[in-house]
This record gives sequence, C-alpha cells and structure tokens, in this order.
Amino acid sequence: MSELDAALETFAQEAEELLTEMEDSLLILEDTPDDSETINSVFRAMHTIKGSSGLFGFNLIVAFTHEAETILDQVRNGERSIDASLISTLLSCKDHTIKLLEFCFESPDADLPEDLQQTGDILIEQLTGQAKQEQLAVTTGTTEIENEGGDLSADNWLISLDFQQDALRNGMDPLSFIRYLKTLGEIKQILTSTPDLPSGNDMDPESCYLQFKILFKSDADKQTIEEVFEFASDDCDIKILPPDSQVEHYLNLLNTQTEEHVSLLGEMLIEAGAITKNDIDKALDAQSKQDPEQNEPAKPLGEILVEQQVIQQPVVEEALKKQEKTRQKVATESSYIRVDSNKLGQLINLVGELVISGAAMNLMVERHGLADVEEVATSMNTLVSDIRDTALELRMVQIGETFSRFRRVVRDVSKELSKDIELTISGGESELDKTVVEKINDPLTHLIRNSLDHGIESPEQRVQAGKPATGNISLNAFHESGHIVIQIIDDGAGLDSEKIVAKAINNGLITSAEEMSQQEIFNLIFEAGLSTKQQASSLSGRGVGMDVVKRNIEALRGSVNIDSIAGQGTTITIHLPLTLAIIDGFMVKTEHERYIIPLSMVEECVEMDAQEYEIDEIQHYVNLRGEVMPYLRLGDYFQNRKSHSKTGRESLVVVRFGQTKAGFVVDELLGEHQTVIKPLGKVFQSLKGITGATVLGDGNVALILDVQGLIRHATKNKQRIPSQLTSVA
Amino acid sequence: MAKTIMIVDDSASIRQVVGIALKSAGYDVLEACDGKDALSKLTGQKIHLIITDVNMPNMDGITFVTEAKKLPQYKFTPMMMLTTEAGTDKKMAGKAAGAKAWLTKPFQPPTLMAAVSKLVLP
Repeated sequence: MSELDAALETFAQEAEELLTEMEDSLLILEDTPDDSETINSVFRAMHTIKGSSGLFGFNLIVAFTHEAETILDQVRNGERSIDASLISTLLSCKDHTIKLLEFCFESPDADLPEDLQQTGDILIEQLTGQAKQEQLAVTTGTTEIENEGGDLSADNWLISLDFQQDALRNGMDPLSFIRYLKTLGEIKQILTSTPDLPSGNDMDPESCYLQFKILFKSDADKQTIEEVFEFASDDCDIKILPPDSQVEHYLNLLNTQTEEHVSLLGEMLIEAGAITKNDIDKALDAQSKQDPEQNEPAKPLGEILVEQQVIQQPVVEEALKKQEKTRQKVATESSYIRVDSNKLGQLINLVGELVISGAAMNLMVERHGLADVEEVATSMNTLVSDIRDTALELRMVQIGETFSRFRRVVRDVSKELSKDIELTISGGESELDKTVVEKINDPLTHLIRNSLDHGIESPEQRVQAGKPATGNISLNAFHESGHIVIQIIDDGAGLDSEKIVAKAINNGLITSAEEMSQQEIFNLIFEAGLSTKQQASSLSGRGVGMDVVKRNIEALRGSVNIDSIAGQGTTITIHLPLTLAIIDGFMVKTEHERYIIPLSMVEECVEMDAQEYEIDEIQHYVNLRGEVMPYLRLGDYFQNRKSHSKTGRESLVVVRFGQTKAGFVVDELLGEHQTVIKPLGKVFQSLKGITGATVLGDGNVALILDVQGLIRHATKNKQRIPSQLTSVA
Repeated sequence: MAKTIMIVDDSASIRQVVGIALKSAGYDVLEACDGKDALSKLTGQKIHLIITDVNMPNMDGITFVTEAKKLPQYKFTPMMMLTTEAGTDKKMAGKAAGAKAWLTKPFQPPTLMAAVSKLVLP
C-alpha cells in the first residue's frame, strides 16, 4: 500500500465519520434549529470533505460539496434560516456525497454516470433555489427582481428610477418622490443600488448615485404614476413597466379602438394607456440617435419600447397586429367611391327602361322573322341582363350595419327595463337592396323592442323558470330562394295563445279559435288592436304597432311570421325580396291577361293532361304526385271574361313561399321574363293579389302577382269549402 | 420642525391663497413680491422650497432663480416655477436656470399641494 493509498484510506474513514456526524447533527437540528455548535459541525463536515477531496483531485466531490458548504456558511452566519426542507435536502446531500466518494474510490478518473450527475444537479438546484428565495426576502442587494419575482410582477408595477448625478443639486430629493408615490398605492418592495458610486476621492458628496427599483401595487394608470416623477424627468431615467395583469387590459383596449384610420403605433399604445407620451418621446429619441453611418434600417419603435422596459412584448405585438388589420381595412375602404344614391336610383331606372326596350326589340325581331338580327339581339340581351344584375348589385349592402345599430337599442332598453339581455348577431354579411334596408329599420326596431319588453322576462322570473338570468335575443339573416330571411329569436316566455285568443274574441277579430292552427293564432298579434300585455309600457305601446309593422313589411313585398314555444321563446321570421326594382319573372296567361310570377317562387310547371296530378274541384285541392296543396284558378280569381270555348289546355304553376306551396291554374305558360317592377298607382293599391305592374315589350301591361297573398287566399279556400259543405249536409 | 416654503409673486392674492393652502398643510410660509425682494429675504433663512412666478417687476423669476442658485445655501433647494399655459419657452428657460419643477397657472390648491408634496413633506 503506497503512502497515497494509505492517505486515501484515512480520507475514506474520516469522510465516513464526518458524514455520520453530519447526519446526526442534522437530525438534532430538526429539534433545535438554532443550535450554532451543531450547525457548525454540519458545516465542518462539508468543508473538510471538500478540502480533502481537492487534495486527492476528486473535483466532482469538490464541486458538489462546495454548493452545500456555501449554503451552510450562510446558515452559520445567520443569513438564512434552517428549516425542515433544507434539512432533508442536506440529508440527501450527505447520501449523495457518500455515493460520490464510493464512485471516486473505485474509478477515480472516470466520468460521473448520468444518474449520479442528475441527482447532484437536482440537489444543487434545491439548495440554491431555496437560497434565492430566501435572499430576496432579507437582502437589500442589487438582485435583479424581474428574474425572480414571477408572481411579484403579476400585479405590481415595476418602476425603475436611475437618478442623474445632478438630481440633488437641482433640488430633487428622491425620497420625496417615493413618499409621494405612496399616496397612489402600496410600495411592495424597494431595491436601492449604487452601481455607479465611485470610490474615495472621486465621489462627489453633492452628487446623486442612487438607483431604485420599486415594486408598486396600485390601481392608478400609467400616466398618473408617471406624473409623480414629472419634475424629476430631467434628472432621472424613469422606466415604468405595467404589471402583467394589466397586459390583458391593454389588449382589450387595443381591440376596441376604432378602425377608421391607421394610427401610429405610439398613438394606439398611448390611447390604450399602455405607455405615456414621455415613453414615446424617449423611444423616438433613441430611434433617431441610431448611428446613421451603419446604414442599418431604423429599429422598429415597438422593439425599442420593449427594450426600454416600458411595455411588455405581447402588447406591442397586439398593437402591431391591430394596426395591420386597420391598414388593410382602410386600404379596401379607400378603393370605394361614394355615389349619390339618387344617381344610382336613376341608373337603375334607366336600366329598367333598357330592359323593356330590349324586350320590345326582341318582339320585333321575332315578329318580322329577321334571322340575321336575332343573333345580335341575343348577345345584346345577355349584355342587358348582365348590366341589370351589376346595376342592382351596386345598391346591395350588407345588413350587418343595420343589425349592429340594435346593440345600442338592446343595451339602452334593457337598462331601462332593468333586465339583463344580450344580443347575438349572425349572418350580418347577407346583402340586400339599400332601399329595402332603409325601410326595414323601423319595423325591426319595433319588433326588437317588443321582444325586449314583452318577450324576455325579468331576471327574477327567468331564474325561477330555471333559465339563465341573462336573456338572449338573436338577430339572424340568411338568403333563401331570392329572398332574404331575417329572424328575431328571443329565449323569453313565449306567446300565450290562450290570452291571444281571448283577446281576439274580445276585440271581435275572430269568433272562435277552433279551426285555427297554433301558428295562425300567434299571427293574430299582427292584427290591429291586439296587445296581450296587461299594462302598456312606453316602449311597445298599446298594441298599435304590430299591425303597422306587418303593413310596412308587406309594403316591401315581404311577409312576417311568428312562432313561439311557451316558456322557451319566440321566433319572428321576416321574408323580404332582395330588391324592389327588377326581378326575373315568369310570365303566364289566362284569357287575354298576362301575369308575372317572381321566378324565385316558381317551383315547377305541369301541363294539365299530364296525368301527374288531379284536381278536386269541390274540395279545392290538387294532388300532385301524392302531394296535396291548395290551388287557385287565376282566371276565376281575377274574374277575367271567360270565353266559352276552351281553346287550349290548362297548366299548373306550383309556387312556394317559405314553407307553403300552392298551385295556380293558368291557360298558357309564356316563359321567363325580365321584369322591371313599376309600383301601382294609389288608386290600385288596395287591390288584392297584385303587388305591381310591368311594361311588356309590346307596350302592354302585365300585372305582378302577390304570390304570398294568393297562397293565403288559396289556403283559406281549401279550408272554407269543406266546412261549408258539411254545414249544407 | 415645519418646513419653510417661500412664495414669490407680484399678485398679493396669489401669495395669499398659496399661503393659506400651504399653511393649512403644515408648512411655514415666507412671502416676497418680486425677485429682488425675495433675494433680500433669503439670507439668514432655512427655506426648503421656493415657488416663484416668472413675470414680475424689478427682477423676474428666471433671474431670481439663477441668482438664488448661486448662493451655496440654496444650491440644493428645489425651486418651482409658476408658468402660464403658453409659456413653454419660459418653462424651458426656468429649467435651464435650475427650477426643475413647475406649475401651470391657473391652478387649484389641490394641484399645488400635489406638486409641493412631490418635493418636500411638511
């Protein structure tokens, strides 16, 4: 055994003894943590092993025991306290040291196996990690708070003050500002540092070398906090970093900013309160001070702001995103031109005339059999119909803007009624003619106010009914076969059909409700003089509105329907034509009169002798391939002079409006026709079954059918006849 | 011991209102009606804050601040300028002379107290 081996042997023994002693001491410390002699013996164990290991070249052990020794030294000096968790970590350290020793004795020059290395790392982390936390609580050193205070920065402002040397000479007392700061909130922690303090003779006792980092808890906004240091701004470098909890607040504010024009990044951030004008000025200053000779592109302002620690990265990112979005929006907006809507109206009128003269020309071409002109006429027809579509599209606007106006209505009214109501909007991108949009605003307002007032219950009633206290009204729009459908859906109490019936009988609207469907009963509320709410309120009035609403909608060639489930809510559905000017029509003829049916409502046409359907003349229904629907003989309805000898076969045109279908029996099908709608004069406005007229190519007038009204009539016929029959029988 | 604040203004009413506000907050107040008057009152005093108007007869505020800063005794004394809204130039001139704090006229007593308490406590 060489001398070195002998020494090693001694070391092994000594280490074993020391570690055993260390374990004993640690266990004693668990009961008497303040016993300085015991702490000393634990320290000594690590200290001695470290020293001896160094002599033998066991650097692994040196490295590990050094960490433990450092901690124990702090404990010994009273810089940190010893507690249960530290004791258990130290016990593990002792075990680990034994393993390290065993390993080093067996293979002195080998690398440490991974598992040992890992255990060591974890233990060191535990030791130093604990140490760091402790230190923050007791020292006033120059620790960087940002790195450690993950939870501290969450709702605290971080204010960095770096006073210039002239501050005191200018009468600025750092302490006064900090005292004043306390009037705005709570100072959680102040770290004072003097990194620039020169030593000895270089130090000027009149100069200020102080730097402060302040964790500050306050509800004040950034501007207010900055104003505290207003006077010091010349003599102090001030950085105010908002708490992390504010970041979300700023993000929200950024999102609510208008998108009308592209703002500068700085302006957006100032508006959100995330930074102050001062921050921007400094950042701009820094930006302009960049060395122009380096030929590098100027650093983005956002980057400088983050670098200067006045704002968090995510806020800048969000602002930039928002800026880009606005820029795009403004860019698309700027490609619009504003046109007087009267001019557009004029254009559409002219296009209408063009369509009519086009039709006239077609007729002439046909009548004179001009084969060579026909081709030209056809291509012109295509162009005319393209022009028509484009012209009409010019007036198409999205309904979304009209919808979003109701946000305010809902907000105000629900406040007035002390109800809690949300508005959900969908389908705002659906387009329809501007003239229709303008005219639908009032009826919609009325219907929504009605839903707010009568539909949605008070929060108490809602909770009692087991519904969420917040009511919901949703506005929905979508396209359906040449129409736009607008729905107002509330999740309120629903309609009380019994009340409606009682009231309707009371007011003489109906005599009994026996034969009425639920839907028909609900639709009674659109009749004049019916209000089910006992007390009329200032909002929905006394039932003088719903019939007006219905009239207004029908004046737009639309319809309104209501459906409701008691306790679950009400749905009001409005069908509106997309445009009031020109439509694709389907022309039919009975006797000598020609009629136009809007093409979008035509389902199919069937010839009378096709055996596909049978007409029940008595019960007034038609059976089309098994489907039963009411029908109407247009010639009879309009009381056209009947020629006694029937020349041709009759045809059936199947029309659909919403969910209802009906058949119109006509003498002749004339085919598609571009129809320019001309309103009827006042004299004819009360005529039923007709919504307008159009001028045909030959100068004659054709009437445009009110399909919806005719379907209703046909449906009534179908129901009335059987009941009359039974009464006769 | 209460801190002493000197108010220099040629308007007696301003001196009075400022004096009342400061006294009720616990400060001792010295008044002077212009720069010259103020300079003559500086000696033998311990003043913790000087609030001075800019436009005054005999000696204006900026000259006064410059002169006062030359006195070793007042080297560290904070000085506050009373400026008008349009007087950005004056503000800069005041800052250059050594009056780092300012208050824009017209002001209400609470604003005055907030500004003062950033500099000295009673």
